Amino acid sequence: MQVSFKVPGPLREFTENQSIVRVELQAGANLLQTLQELFVTYPGLRDRVLTETGETRQHVNIFVGNENVRYLGGLATPIPAGAEISIVPAITGG
Amino acid sequence: MIGQTLDHYKILAQLGEGGMGVVYRARDEVLNRDVALKLLLHSAVDKVSPDHLLREAQTASSLSHPNICTIHQVGQTGEDFYVVMELIEGRSLSDLITTTGLSMETVARYGTQIADALAHAHDRGIVHRDLKGSNVMVTPEGRVKVLDFGLATRLEREEISELTLSYTALESKLVGTLPYMAPEILRGQKGDHLSDVWSLGVLLYEAVAGKLPFRGNTGFEVTSAILREPCPPLPSTVPYGLAAVIQRCLMKERAERYQRASEVRAALETVQGAVLQTRHPSEESRGPRTLVLRGMEHLTAKNGDVLLLVGTNKGAFLLRSSRDRSKWDVAGPYFHGQGVNAMAYDGRCGKHRLWISTNNVMWGAFLRSSDDFGRIWTNPLEAGIRFPTESGAALRNIWQITLGRNDEPDKLYCGVEPAALFESKDDGESWSLVRGLYEHPHRPRWMPGNGGLILHTILPDPSNKHRMYVAVSAGGVYRTDDGGATWQARNNGVRVVFLPEKYPEFGQCVHKIALHDSRPERLFLQNHWGLYRSDNRGDSWQDIARGVPSDFGFGMIVHPHDADCVYIVPVESDEFRCTPEGHLRVYRTRNAGGSWEPLTRGLPQKGAYETVLRDALSADSLDLAGIYFGTRSGKVYGSRDEGKSWKKIVEGLPQILCVKAAVVRMDGTPTATPSLKPKNAKKHKGGRPTRVRRRKSR
Repeated sequence: MQVSFKVPGPLREFTENQSIVRVELQAGANLLQTLQELFVTYPGLRDRVLTETGETRQHVNIFVGNENVRYLGGLATPIPAGAEISIVPAITGG
Repeated sequence: MIGQTLDHYKILAQLGEGGMGVVYRARDEVLNRDVALKLLLHSAVDKVSPDHLLREAQTASSLSHPNICTIHQVGQTGEDFYVVMELIEGRSLSDLITTTGLSMETVARYGTQIADALAHAHDRGIVHRDLKGSNVMVTPEGRVKVLDFGLATRLEREEISELTLSYTALESKLVGTLPYMAPEILRGQKGDHLSDVWSLGVLLYEAVAGKLPFRGNTGFEVTSAILREPCPPLPSTVPYGLAAVIQRCLMKERAERYQRASEVRAALETVQGAVLQTRHPSEESRGPRTLVLRGMEHLTAKNGDVLLLVGTNKGAFLLRSSRDRSKWDVAGPYFHGQGVNAMAYDGRCGKHRLWISTNNVMWGAFLRSSDDFGRIWTNPLEAGIRFPTESGAALRNIWQITLGRNDEPDKLYCGVEPAALFESKDDGESWSLVRGLYEHPHRPRWMPGNGGLILHTILPDPSNKHRMYVAVSAGGVYRTDDGGATWQARNNGVRVVFLPEKYPEFGQCVHKIALHDSRPERLFLQNHWGLYRSDNRGDSWQDIARGVPSDFGFGMIVHPHDADCVYIVPVESDEFRCTPEGHLRVYRTRNAGGSWEPLTRGLPQKGAYETVLRDALSADSLDLAGIYFGTRSGKVYGSRDEGKSWKKIVEGLPQILCVKAAVVRMDGTPTATPSLKPKNAKKHKGGRPTRVRRRKSR
């Protein structure tokens, strides 16, 4: 199946300036597996989205469609074919 | 011409044809040797007075240098001018450059020789004016010979216009010259030694990239690119050091280029000697580099300049001054919006590398470097500093970047949050957690201070490769005597106010420790309440807080040349972390803590409620040391007379987290390390930094 990722501006230097990148993977994958597939092609994204303990960074939100995965199943959220996944920096400041 | 004789030179064969004329192989029938004879075209000679050309060629014939083709004779026979030169067997550089470019080592080696040739000629007032690949020969032994010094004719303004308008159709001898021309020549100015530096930059670019930096289908496009386009990025395979040299040659502003060919030579020697050797095979996979362009003019630093690296909670700023430290250029913010807790300048072994830790609240903390004073920064694909998975820890921030000892130029250390020490033995290519400290049995009982649980200070003992001190807030001072395998708490005598036990083995909230290279057994310590000195490598500490308004504070440095002289900036208390009574005072001891004196001249003494954080106090290593500090309110103050008088260098920056002073070394010598000042050291006239020139945005 194919899913697409929306990449925020600050990370596009790691995706050859593409704002949307597509990933092919087997049906039934969860978000973590989908991300891992993404990181194979775009390794610069990994350490900017996840910490070395494998958790989503505190101020990074991931949406599947319009829903924040924090309210779905986190990194175990099942990903349907054709899903649009967005990596979005959280509201923060200081 | 073949077979004819010109004076006593018998023309044997045609070797080539260039912009100025036809080159023949000829036989010198008097000295019985083969030479190259260039017969100058009438059209070339017509443009200038024959006398002038003759004079220039005669001047050029005075050059004697192993990388300059020797001119034996300049003559005139009838209407023809000719130049008799050393016959060089070999190939021109333009023939050798392939579409993939030459190896970096080859480029640096050839470039050094060309720059040396230019330096020799420039010193004698001779400018090349037409440096390009076809004018550089390489012998089978790899020796470079630059041809045609002083022989290029000057282009008139109309000729440049003609050239730019008719580039494609033109069968002009000048077509090959245009892409190497400096912007000022295209504007109709006279070419000089700086135009040669530009041409050398073009040549080096072409040699590493296999293509010219400024290209176009028409002369107009080429000219436009030279005048207006930024230099295109070099391939990622080009080491930063070499790329930085090339880019500096290709600065459109003449003042920003190397001002002498000898500087280019020195920089290329440095590249040859250091950067190429430290290049890692994995460099190509290290990810994109961040080219900082947005609205910013960068610093151009030269040998001997003083740099201030200023990290703030919203990005970094670079300040530069010449040795007199009276005027400062300010560039930045770099990585605007990101916290910069640590910066460092590495001038060891010919490097001139800036290190920076950038902490993006969204995307995490990364260590980056720049070899060209901030134009281009690394942007690693993967975080080099990362905790092993089994540790269960995740990097929050990088608080300190410390260089290894001078005789270990590839060693670097980083102190991070959560408190841990990382070490690199390959110049920052790879990092490993120092497990001896991370797995210390005390570690689970360390407590975070206000800034988190951080390892903020790293002091390698300059006299003992196996000894090092670190300071953890709040864990205390730890020392290793076996290269990091085991660590001992060294806090005996250091008081803790926030625990029931006032003198525990560990758990102290140490804010800073400092030592002087010449007295490595002696340490100074600024505690969360308390000023201390140890004369026995931290085994025990004695209170030295006599004569200070408060013994609470953060930053602490030892004078670079005086082991008894220490600077601090006391703040009132842990509750009110501001300078006491609104007086901004630096305190100095010149007797290792026996007494302290306030340094206030030039500092505000009314309503100045400032805070100087633990890494925001620094000194340069010039003879009369400069002392600098930055405040949470975004001001940088400096003293160029060791603290006697002060001047505000810049204000209005974000909250300053670190200030690091450094003296730029681009001559291949190691960075000066603090040393005892010679007794007869010249006294500087004193005075204060006076004026800031903020670089204007484009």
